[in-house]
Formats: sequence, C-alpha cells, structure tokens
Amino acid sequence: MSSESSLFSHRWLPLLLAAPLMLLIVLFFYVPVFQAFYWSFFLEQPFGGGSEFVGFQNFARVLSDPEFWMAGWRTIVFMLTASSLAVIVPLMLAIAADRKIALSIPARNILVWPKGIAGASIGVVFAFIFNPFVGLMAPLNTLVPGLWNPGIDGTDAFITLVAAHVWSGIPFNFVILLAGLRSIPHTMHQAAAMDGAGPWRRIFDVQLPLIMPQLFLTFVLEFTESITSVFALIDTITGGGPGGSTTLLVYKIYVDGFRGFDLSGASTQTAILMVFVLLLAACQFVFLGRRINYER
Amino acid sequence: MTAIDTAIRAAAADIELIGVTKAYDAKTVVIPQLDVALRPGEFTVVLGPSGCGKSTLLQMIAGLERVSGGKILIGGREVQNLEPKHRGCAMVFQNYALYPHMTVAENMAYSLKVAGVSKAERAERVATVAKMLGLADFLARKPGQLSGGQRQRVAIGRAIIREPGVLLFDEPLSNLDAQLRHDMRVELADLHRRIGATSVFVTHDQVEAMTLADRILILNKGHIEQFDTPKAIYHHPASIFVAKFIGSPPMNILAVTGDGSALRLADGQVVANFAGKGSFQLGIRPEDITVKAGGPIKAQIRYREDLGSHEILEADIAGQPLRIATPFGAEIDPTSTLSLSFSQARLHLFDNGTSRAISNAFDQTKSAPASVKEYQ
Repeated sequence: MSSESSLFSHRWLPLLLAAPLMLLIVLFFYVPVFQAFYWSFFLEQPFGGGSEFVGFQNFARVLSDPEFWMAGWRTIVFMLTASSLAVIVPLMLAIAADRKIALSIPARNILVWPKGIAGASIGVVFAFIFNPFVGLMAPLNTLVPGLWNPGIDGTDAFITLVAAHVWSGIPFNFVILLAGLRSIPHTMHQAAAMDGAGPWRRIFDVQLPLIMPQLFLTFVLEFTESITSVFALIDTITGGGPGGSTTLLVYKIYVDGFRGFDLSGASTQTAILMVFVLLLAACQFVFLGRRINYER
Repeated sequence: MTAIDTAIRAAAADIELIGVTKAYDAKTVVIPQLDVALRPGEFTVVLGPSGCGKSTLLQMIAGLERVSGGKILIGGREVQNLEPKHRGCAMVFQNYALYPHMTVAENMAYSLKVAGVSKAERAERVATVAKMLGLADFLARKPGQLSGGQRQRVAIGRAIIREPGVLLFDEPLSNLDAQLRHDMRVELADLHRRIGATSVFVTHDQVEAMTLADRILILNKGHIEQFDTPKAIYHHPASIFVAKFIGSPPMNILAVTGDGSALRLADGQVVANFAGKGSFQLGIRPEDITVKAGGPIKAQIRYREDLGSHEILEADIAGQPLRIATPFGAEIDPTSTLSLSFSQARLHLFDNGTSRAISNAFDQTKSAPASVKEYQ
C-alpha cells in the first residue's frame, strides 16, 4: 500500500478520480441487476404502483412454462454453434493472415473494419443479404423453389442469425487471435521446421498451444456475450420468428417484459439467464483456465 | 563413447557452397557470391559484424532461407531446393526457441516424434542425450523452470538427438552472462571433441571464434575476407578488415610511405626497412610494440588504462592513434614522449588500395630470431 500513498497525498483523491466510472457501473449495471433479482420475488404492476411479495412463485411459473425451456434450448444451440464458429472462423483467418501469403497484409486491415458496425446495422444488412427474393440465396430459389426462405422456414432463419453473428464476431476475435499468433517468436517456427514439422503440423503442435490464452479469452467472451448481444440481430432480422423459432431467451425476456408487460416474469428470466452466464464463465475458468500455460 | 557419439561422427557430412548468392531485391544484395567448402567433422565459426550476412548464410544452409542462386551440397547431395527436414541439419538458436508448452523430454524428442520414431526408442534416446548433457534430473520440467545454461543444453540436446550430419549454431551464447558464456564455450568445445559433428557456428564474438573454431570464416558484406585457422588469422591477417576485427585491442593501422629503403610515417620517422616505394598501410599489434629507453620511434602519450594484468597506452604518432599493450610490471616513464620499438618480424603491410595484405613484405629486411630477442 505504500506505493498508493506515495502516488496520492490525499486519501479521498483516488476515490474521487474513480467516481465517474464507478457511478456509471453502479447506475447501469449493479442497480438493474439487483432490481431484476428483487423483482423476481415480487408481482409487479405493469404501469407501476404497488407490488406484492410472492416468494418463488415467479420462478415456479417461469420454469413450468414450455416456452421458456424452448427459448433456453435455442439459446444453448445458438451459443454452441454461433459462438464456436465465431471463434473458429476468425482463427482460420488469423492463421492464414499470419502466414506470408498473398494479400495477407491488406487482409489484416480489412478484416478489422466490421468492428465499427453496430449490431442492428449488421442485422439490417444480413436481412437483405439473405432475403429469399433479392438476396444472395435468391438464385437457389429459382433452381429449387422454396429451398431458402428464412421468413417461413425456422432453420433458415436460425442459419441467417448464426451467419450474421459469426460475421459480426470476426473483427474482435480476429484481432485478438492474430495478436497472439504474431507474438510467437519467428525462431519457434524455424525450430519446428528444423524438427521436421510441416505447416499443418506446426498449427497443432506449436501455434495453437501457444495462443491458448488468447483462444481462452475469445471463447469465454463469445460464450458469455453471444447470449445477450444476439438481441440486436434477432430484432432486426427475424423479430423472433418465424413461429418463435429464433426467439432466444434474451429476446423472449424483451418480448415478455416490454410487449407483454410481464415485468416479474421477465425479471425472473433475466435472473436465471444471469446465473447461467455466471456459472458458464466460472466453469470455463475452472475446467479450462487452469490448464493454460501463460509462459512464453 | 556412447552410441550416439559414434552415430553422429559417422553421419558428419561435408558442406560445399558453390556460387551461392542471396539478394532480396536488386538493391539489397546480402551475399553477392560465395564459394566455400567445409570438411566433415570440422568446426567452422562464421565471424563478422552484424549485417555481414552470416546468419543468412546459416539459414540458407539450414533451408530456412532460399538461395537466390548457386548450389549447396551437404554430403555431396544437392540440397538447396530441399525442405529443412530433408537436409540432415539441426540448429541451435540464439533465443533457444524451446517449445514452452512441452517438457524438456518432449522438447528433445519432438523431432523424433514427427519422424514417427516409436515411443520406447524416443525415451531411450532422450535418456542417452540427457545423460550426456547432464539434464537427466530435469526431463519433466518445462523450459520456463530452467536456468539459461540448462535451456541452452536442452537446445543442444534437441539438435543432436537426431544424429544430424550438420550442426548449426546461430549465436547460441549471446544471451548468456559472461561467466556462463565461458562455461558453455568449454562445454561446446568438449562436446564437439566427443561427437565430432560437422558444425557451423555463427557469432560476432571473436573470443568464441578463436577458442572454438577449427577454421574461422570471416565475412564482410557477404564476401569472404579470410578462411583459415584461428592462429593463421591472428598472425597472418589477409586484410585490414581481419586485422582490425581480430584481437583486443585491435591491431594498429598506420599510414606509411616507402621511399625505396625504408617505411616512413607522415612526420618522417622510420618504422621499418623496406625496399618498395609508394603508400602503404602498416599494421602492428599493441603487444608487438615495446616501450624502452632509447627506442627509435617516438610517440606522445595521451592516456593510460591499467587493466591489472597489463596496461594499455593510448598514444599519438604522427597524428595517428597508436595503442600499446605493456607487459605486467613494465616500468613506464610517465613523461609525455614515449620511446618505442616495433617488433620487426611482427609487422604487417597492407596495400593502400585493396586493403589486402602484402605477403612476405619484410622477409628480406629482418630475420626473425633478432626481432624475437628484441621482443623479449
């Protein structure tokens, strides 16, 4: 603690300097979180005024609702497919861009650009790209009519959602993974080449083990973030449809809470989702984090 | 002698470079043209300042850099277009380049694993090499848990476990502290004596070159300045570059003029008898200059450094700097003018234009025994 006192002469000054950020975090993160937990034990009036403590009744109601379990299952399927692809696709791109192949330098720049696009904009663009009549897949429908229509077919809608999410996840994960690959000393590749390992073998024996910290980071962030960040995509591309086939938990919470005015039910689902995300992150750290060798 | 020693000695291959060139583009030519032959089992040190192309040369032999032209023959086989793994070379890197996520045993066995050697044989060969290098107690550790010297030994173990025909070293000692560097030098020399692998060792450290090499290849801007034994390079430098690069402090180079009977400095002092005429560069090592009363050559002392075992005097002679190494206990008159005598048999004469040595320049002027007496 001596270093702190030598930096700041006044004991309240550090706190004062951190206050604006702390205030933001408290106002926009901790207060809503606790509010959601609090409401999940109450029956709230949709337009305010008077609430009634109901104990675990909200939980009982939500957990017995088949729609909740469907949305939860879709969330897990989305998490496993979209999040995994959102790491694996950038990983392949980063490995390619790390090599001295043609155009790898401009590619390193171009692949970062989508980072600057908001989720809702990506949704609008992908809704257009995958439009069955004018989009990229339209020629397929002229060959086999009705093969592709995300407006009617739930699977098609889900695929559209996954594609949009993977695309939006490329820049950040690409940058992190490429940075990890670039930090592997050049002589490590040379040593492996001298040891007889070809480029493919080097990916699995040298490159992947050495970027484990970066891979771990991207996986944890993807798995925890995809659950909530997919909201903007659903809202702009599918609106949860067709027939609820793309209603993930986060979208169901929004619909229940702000369209159905079931504030207590939405709060309860929020609380459940939050605990799930926390457990997920904790599991990743417990089962994967310990095995990672951060030494270079 | 264990089995791996004999295997490596048997595998030791000769290396021949024929007209090898390396250029990244028309402007950056690293090696304009190189022809050199290294004998099997020979320890060659490639020495030169940074940017002279020595590391590039090593990487081209290893197959990590392409040649722009010419041929590389290892054991009589043309290899310049082969992948590194097909050349029979192993390499020790400057930063060791050990795999941080593998144990010492896994690091050493990796090349065998890639080559498909059975697990039992891998373990056996790792045990042999580890015993040879004193690493038997560290096999389960990761490189991060080892000291610099131990990591160096693992890197060497990883290189020799495949019983390569050629061992390549890329400045392997430059990351170690002075004491460890000395110890590793002794270990490397001992290892080479035991296994007799054809070794190419790149360094910018002249002490490593002098102590380790069977022959030293001195490179300057991609050209061979001299390729000879350490003794020959020290005592008969082929050019001013070599003369100044080897020896600490470096050889003094003085501009002199021959008038037909003697070599004179700019102020007219005679430094040697010489029959030729014209401008030359005269070389003399600091330890071949004696300070003594009545010495024929005069110089102004500027600075003295006492190094304990000997003293280095910095003097000014005819407007040129001159370094003199005096033996321990020598009584130096601290007056400003020094009386010096140059050991005549130890003078070197270089051409003013080409900077190359003029051989046997002083044979007719002074006989060796007289100068040795003078040198005491």
